[in-house]
Amino acid sequence: MTTPRGRSLTLRDLEVTGEGGRRILYVPRLQIAAGSAVAVRGPSGAGKTTLLYALAGLVSPAAGRILWDDEDIAPLGEPARAAFRRRTVGFVFQEHLLFEELSAPGNAALAALYTAATERAAIRARAAEQLSRLGLDRSAARRSDSYSGGERQRIAVARALAADPDVILADEPTASLDRANADRLADDLVALARHEGRTLITVSHDPAVHARADRVLDIADGRLAADTAQGAPGAAHA
Amino acid sequence: MTMQTTRRRALALAAGFIAAPALLRAQGDEAIKLRELYAGDNEFSEFARDSEGERITVEGFMAPPLQADSTFFVLTKMPMSVCPFCETEAEWPEDILAIYTRRKYRVVPFNRKIVVRGELELGGYRDPETGFVSLVRLANAQFDYA
Amino acid sequence: MPDAFLDGWAALPVWLADLLLFLALLAPAFLLGALVLRGFAIGPLLSALLRRQVWVSVVFVALIAISVGLGAGLIAQERGLRQGTAPAADKFELVVAAPGSEITAMLAAVYLQPSDLPLLDGETYDRIASHERVEIVAPLGFGDSWRDAPVVGTTAEFVAYLSEGLAEGRHFAAEYEAVAGARVPLGVGDAFSPAHGIGDAAEHGAHGDLEYEVVGRMPLTGSPWDRALMVPIESVWSVHGLANGHGPGWDGEIGPPFAPAYFPGTPAALVRADSLAANYGLQAEFSTETTMAFFPGTVLARLHALMGDIRQAMSVLAVITQVLVTAGVLAGLMMLTRLLAKRLALLRALGAPRRFIFALTWSFAVTLISTGAALGLLLGVAATRAISSIITARTDVLVSARLAWPELHLVAGFVSLTAVLALLPAFLTMNRPVIRDLRG
Repeated sequence: MTTPRGRSLTLRDLEVTGEGGRRILYVPRLQIAAGSAVAVRGPSGAGKTTLLYALAGLVSPAAGRILWDDEDIAPLGEPARAAFRRRTVGFVFQEHLLFEELSAPGNAALAALYTAATERAAIRARAAEQLSRLGLDRSAARRSDSYSGGERQRIAVARALAADPDVILADEPTASLDRANADRLADDLVALARHEGRTLITVSHDPAVHARADRVLDIADGRLAADTAQGAPGAAHA
Repeated sequence: MTMQTTRRRALALAAGFIAAPALLRAQGDEAIKLRELYAGDNEFSEFARDSEGERITVEGFMAPPLQADSTFFVLTKMPMSVCPFCETEAEWPEDILAIYTRRKYRVVPFNRKIVVRGELELGGYRDPETGFVSLVRLANAQFDYA
Repeated sequence: MPDAFLDGWAALPVWLADLLLFLALLAPAFLLGALVLRGFAIGPLLSALLRRQVWVSVVFVALIAISVGLGAGLIAQERGLRQGTAPAADKFELVVAAPGSEITAMLAAVYLQPSDLPLLDGETYDRIASHERVEIVAPLGFGDSWRDAPVVGTTAEFVAYLSEGLAEGRHFAAEYEAVAGARVPLGVGDAFSPAHGIGDAAEHGAHGDLEYEVVGRMPLTGSPWDRALMVPIESVWSVHGLANGHGPGWDGEIGPPFAPAYFPGTPAALVRADSLAANYGLQAEFSTETTMAFFPGTVLARLHALMGDIRQAMSVLAVITQVLVTAGVLAGLMMLTRLLAKRLALLRALGAPRRFIFALTWSFAVTLISTGAALGLLLGVAATRAISSIITARTDVLVSARLAWPELHLVAGFVSLTAVLALLPAFLTMNRPVIRDLRG
């Protein structure tokens, strides 16, 4: 087990508004330790995904601070937030969202296409490494739409890890999978995050994901309704 | 140089890549007349001798060409509905100039004045294709309406 | 400064000037490309997107190719016609005919188009023939044909001048001998019987059982004379019941000199003077009330200029078509990017800079544009080839079609201009809302 390299998260009076200034999410205070695995759950439309998008810098909050370690991403402009996502965040979506025409390594190393030329080789090497860790075919000749649903979501996980992010954010990663594949993905996600001490925040209604987390946050009506620490093995460093 | 001329030249320069011949219009002010090349008795003028091998601009009229889609025509002093060679018995009348154009040219009406810019060549030259012998020529020439 | 620039430009060889102009026209597209793509490796994604939208892409490319082909084809076709018709007239420096239309006389004398021309009489012909500056003069006799080939009466001297040496056999030396053009399906030793008139109006058998023997064949000249059968003018006059150009006591040797009193007339006298100056002199001398002297080259050049004007007008339409098609394609591309919006939003969510989306959309457009433009060039040349071969088959004027700089310049300019236009959809796509597209 390596020392945590992930970032800690501190939210202060975070407020996200929707159309017409309607408040979608308000979190007065939240602290997540570096390297921990956190699950977020709640009813549909409660604001879970909005929270995730705010943490990734995809949504600009109306007020408050989003501190990843000491870096407040709330006031950043789009180019700086894009750079933050590129450097710091690995994202796994509900659907695998791959470029079907590309191979598994092509999808996993997508970031190599828009990062500096000097980093491309490293990204490709890490993408390949993650694919083999996830037990996937690394053939560059095979289109990614020839893989099964579970395999495709694992390609998406490899993609999230390829740029060596400090933080992994996942939005319902197991929702489109059957039970066996969902369990396997939940295992993989947590194991890979922990392996290098990354901070993992997963929005999910899947109990398999909750069971593997150090901590479960319940969101209801745009507010943090409950915060449950779990004594999962090898958990909380903070 | 007036403001307008300056601007015209700047515009002409900008257009240069596409329509180089159009620029000759701007050079029309310096165009010489055919007789300025001669000093009488088929002798070349001092100007002609000094300008040999240089690009000069001459004004005149295009004699109807004998061949279509060619690079050769005769520049005459006067708009020519009649022949430039007829008024005199001389083999080489002093009011014509042989023009070899840079590219195949488009014929212009014989009564439109044109300015031609090209490299001045002096001395006898026999066109290998037509057998035409000229004493003075503008080579690599471009022209436009004056 | 402009003088120095211009003269420097004119000092370059033509091919180099053309090449530089081509590169200069293409440069904006390349500079823009270098600027837009700087730091990115869009290749794999670009090809993935193209493959994803392969049919739409094919249609867009085809539209651009057709519009570009139209523009390029027009230029190539006009040049081909000019380059084909000019050499066909090269040998005809000066034509003297009875007053009338220069164009009609040129089409008849040079391109052997059947037409009803008034005749020059023997006196006039004799004045031309005996002029000291005239090197070659030949009468023309039209009216008969064999199959589709016009039978043209003239002199052996003119056939020698026109052909610059026969491909086979010898020149005609007796009244009923003939020299065949290169495309006439008759060999040396074959005989043919001429019909009166040409085409559907030809009366077969009108000349009894008269037969000519082919004694020589001309090389290919790329002119309508390739389809003609040249015979002694005397025989044409004879078979039509006219005097044969020679007085009583003729020894039967064909060709000049002709006796003015027994000269039935010719629609045109083809003249070669002993010098360029003499051509102008003769033209002036025979531009009289009873004769018309003209340079076919000048008439043709005027027709070329007219054709050039029409072509330019059509080119304007073709350019408008190109721009409209491209605008349509770019608008279509905007819709296409909506289909791709989720994937593009994904890239943004993963941290790709907005400029990457910009670069991707722009390259998509420019790939379609440049592929379409390149195919359009080929299409234009292919179409011109097809049309040219039809023209050659119908008129025997050898019209060829080759790719040349003007088309390349047109296409280079088109690519650069539309590469700039493609910045707009790229800009609009770059600013699409990420979250909405991601959820959509």
